[in-house]
Amino acid sequence: MTMRLVRTELVESREILPGQWLQSFHAPALATGSRAGQFVHVRTGDLSGLVLRRPFSINTADPISGVITIHYRTIGRGTEWFTRLRPGDGVDMLGPLGRPFEVDSRSRHLLLVAGGLGMAGVRYLADEALRDGRQVTMLFGAASARDVYPSSLLPDEVEYVIATDDGSVGHRGFITDLVPDYEAWADQAFACGPAPMLAALARLAAGRRERLGVARLGRKRGGGKVDARGSAVARRKAFLQVSMEQNMGCAVGACLGCVIMGANGAPQRVCREGPVFAAEEVAWESGW
Amino acid sequence: MIGGGPSAGPSAPGATRRRPVVEPAVALESSIAPVDVDLSVDLGRGLVLANPILVASGTFGYGIEYGDVVEVDRLGAICCKGTTLKPRIGNITPRVTETPGGMLNSIGLQNPGVDAVIEKYAKTWTGWKTAVIVNVAGESVGDYVEVVRRLDGVPGIAGIELNISCPNVGKGGLQFAIDAEAAGSVTAAVRRATDLPLLVKLSPNVADVRPIARAIADAGADALTAVNTLSGIAVAPSRTKPLLGNIYGGLSGPAIKPVALRIVYEVAQIVDIPVVAIGGITELGDVLDYLAVGAVAVQVGTAIFADPTLPVRLVDELAGECRRRGLSTYADLIGTALPRKPGAPSAKGVEYRP
Repeated sequence: MTMRLVRTELVESREILPGQWLQSFHAPALATGSRAGQFVHVRTGDLSGLVLRRPFSINTADPISGVITIHYRTIGRGTEWFTRLRPGDGVDMLGPLGRPFEVDSRSRHLLLVAGGLGMAGVRYLADEALRDGRQVTMLFGAASARDVYPSSLLPDEVEYVIATDDGSVGHRGFITDLVPDYEAWADQAFACGPAPMLAALARLAAGRRERLGVARLGRKRGGGKVDARGSAVARRKAFLQVSMEQNMGCAVGACLGCVIMGANGAPQRVCREGPVFAAEEVAWESGW
Repeated sequence: MIGGGPSAGPSAPGATRRRPVVEPAVALESSIAPVDVDLSVDLGRGLVLANPILVASGTFGYGIEYGDVVEVDRLGAICCKGTTLKPRIGNITPRVTETPGGMLNSIGLQNPGVDAVIEKYAKTWTGWKTAVIVNVAGESVGDYVEVVRRLDGVPGIAGIELNISCPNVGKGGLQFAIDAEAAGSVTAAVRRATDLPLLVKLSPNVADVRPIARAIADAGADALTAVNTLSGIAVAPSRTKPLLGNIYGGLSGPAIKPVALRIVYEVAQIVDIPVVAIGGITELGDVLDYLAVGAVAVQVGTAIFADPTLPVRLVDELAGECRRRGLSTYADLIGTALPRKPGAPSAKGVEYRP
C-alpha cells in the first residue's frame, strides 16, 4: 500500500513496563496495508511546540479488527504527550512508511533478535512468520528483569530466550552471546536494537558461512546471479536483516535527515531505503 | 502559468506595496457574491505563480517524495533541495533534532549533483503545472555560475534560488551571505550566466541584513527569499558533546518567526524587488503577518513535516480570507504593517538591537 495520511483512533493504552507503553489504534488501512518492518509517522497534538512527527515501528497489525499497536518508551515531551491520550482520541498517522523485512520463501526457521525497545521493530515479524507457517525464536536482551518484555505479549508458538546485563533473568550478558547457538538452526535472522548490538550481529553474520562450513548443494539460491544491492530480492537472500534507527524529519525521503552511511559509501535514508537493511548494506564502522 | 503574459500579480515595484488596506464594512460580507480571488504573483522575469504559497528548499525534496499525499499541482512553486555542481554526501549524523518550537538540521547539502538532478527530475517537472525553482549552492562563484549554466534552458526548470546562506557547510555557503560585496558579486555573476528568474536567499546570521539585500538587488536579482535558518546547536543527552554530528545546525520552525518577520520588515522597505518570506509558518495568520510586513509570497518549510497538506490548505484559506474581506486580490494584504512614511525611524534604525 502506498503511504497516506490516516486518521486513527486510540483504542487502548497501557504501561506494560516502567516507562514503556503499548497503545492500540483503530486504523484499518494500516492494519491491512502494512508489512512487518514498516513504520508510521505520528503527529503530536501541539504543532507550535513540537514541530516534528514521531516515527514508530508498527508493533503489531491485525487486519481482522483493523487495529495496529505501537510500543515506545517515554523519552521526552512527544512521547509523554502520547501517554496522555485517552480511548477515542483521534491521532493523525502517515504510513505505512519504509521498506519491510524480506523473508525468503524457503526459510523455515527465523531468528529474531531484539535489544530493549528493539522488540517493537521485530514483533510484527513474529506474527507474520507464524502465519506463514515458519518457526520463530526470539532472542531478547535488556538491562535487567524489570525491563523484560512480557512473554504473555508474544504468541505461544514463539520460543522466547532472554538475556539481561545483570543476570536477574535468563542469560547473564549480552543477547549476542547466545546467537552462535542458533546460527546453524536459523535460515535467516532479523534484528532491531541498539547500534552496537546490530554491529555485533553483523560481524557474527559475516563469518557464519565459514564457521558452519556451508557448502550449498544443488542450485545456488538465485542461480548465482548478483542482485542489485538493496533490492528486495537481494535482501531476501541476506542472512541478517536489521531495522535501523536515526533521528527523523519528514519520513518520506525529502529532507535527508535520517541517513546512515551505506557500505557503498553513499548515505542511505532510513525512512526510504530502510528502516530495514541487509546487514551488508550498512557501513558499520563509518562512525555515522 | 509560468512565463508569458503581463503580470497581474502584486509585485510590480512600487505599484502595490504600501497600499492602504480597504477594510470592507462587515455588513457587505454577506451581500457580495463569492469573488474569484486573484492569488497570482509575479516574482519577476516572467516567473508568475498561480498563488503565493511555496514550499521551502530541503523540506520537499524534489517534489515527488510525498506522492499522493500532497496535491503538488496546487502549490505556488516548489523550491527543490539545494543542488551543487558535484554530488555531496552531506554531513555526519545525527542531522536533525527537535528544539523548543522548532528544529535544528545540518544535512550539509547532500545531493546527487546538478547533472543527476536534471537527468532524474527535470522531465517529471516539465509535466507539472507548478513551477519548480532549483535551489543552487556552491563553494565559489565559479561553482554557482557553472551549476546555473547547466540549469539554464532545461525544460521544467522555472527559476533559480541562490542559496548563499547555508549555515551547515564548512566552506562556501554562508560566507557569501554575510558580506554585501560577496553577495553582490555572486549574484551579478549568476545574473550574467542565465536569464532564468533569480531569487537569492538571505541569511539571518548577520548584524544588519539591509546592505546585503541592497547589494543583491542592485546586482540584478529578481526577488529575495528571507530567511534561511538561524545557526544554532543542541547538546547530546549525555552532555558530553554537541548533539548534531556537524555540531552546528540551522534552526527553523515557529521559533524563528519573529526574527524572520523583522528581517522581511526591514528588507521590504529598502528594495524594489519582491520579497518571499520564510520562517515558521504553520497557519494562515502567519502568512498574513508576512504579507503585512511586505512579503509578496511565502515559503512553508518545517511545518510540512508535521502536516504535509498544510501548504495546499493555506492556498484555500488565503483565498477564503480575501473573499471574506471582499478583496478580489490578495495584493491588498501586502505591506499593511509597514511604516506609512518612508524614512520612518524603524526603517533605518537598529536602535532596538541589544
